[in-house]
Amino acid sequence: MGRRLPITNQVRTLRERAGGMTQAQLADAIGVTRQTVIAIEQGRYSPSLESAFRIAREFGVGLEDVFGWQE
Amino acid sequence: MAFQEKSAWIMVVALLLGGAFYLNLVSSFSAAIGTLAPPLLPTVIVYTIILIVVAVIGHILIGIMTPREANEPLDERERRIFSKASSFSGYVLGLGVIVSLGHYLILQDGDLLFYSVFASLMIAQIAEYLCRIALYRFGAL
Repeated sequence: MGRRLPITNQVRTLRERAGGMTQAQLADAIGVTRQTVIAIEQGRYSPSLESAFRIAREFGVGLEDVFGWQE
Repeated sequence: MAFQEKSAWIMVVALLLGGAFYLNLVSSFSAAIGTLAPPLLPTVIVYTIILIVVAVIGHILIGIMTPREANEPLDERERRIFSKASSFSGYVLGLGVIVSLGHYLILQDGDLLFYSVFASLMIAQIAEYLCRIALYRFGAL
């Protein structure tokens, strides 16, 4: 249950760069709960492809600028 | 804490309270008659009423505290959590029913069969909500 997923992300960094966007604001923007954004940032949840695109579009960056793969 | 996690905690409390009430009633009735008391509809009805009352009051309270979250549909992570917890609960219920049927085949006691299947149902429900809570808190999905 406590395992980390191989998909890494820069969501927190991108939020801070985007003028300190809050987790709740990002959650509203992409249509998930704040707890889901927290889980994504902590590497406990890999979002669906649709949500991943929504996050990337929200920050105006490419998908691979937000998400990465770590073996 | 997510609304659905609060909801799961309420259901765990409601199920435990209802279960404790039911167990207490059946054990005291059984002690009074000196054998396992037969299943009675009124006790099941009271159990159900306790469950509904605690669940409704609990949900009204958390709904008042977080009205916005209460009206939000499940998001994609929550749907996965619900699905996994439901699947886990199904296994628990299945195991309970198999054990109950095995028990019946050996002891041929219909009353005991009722109680063990009913207990399996209660345990499976509690397991489902506990699984949801665990996935909300620690799950890597």
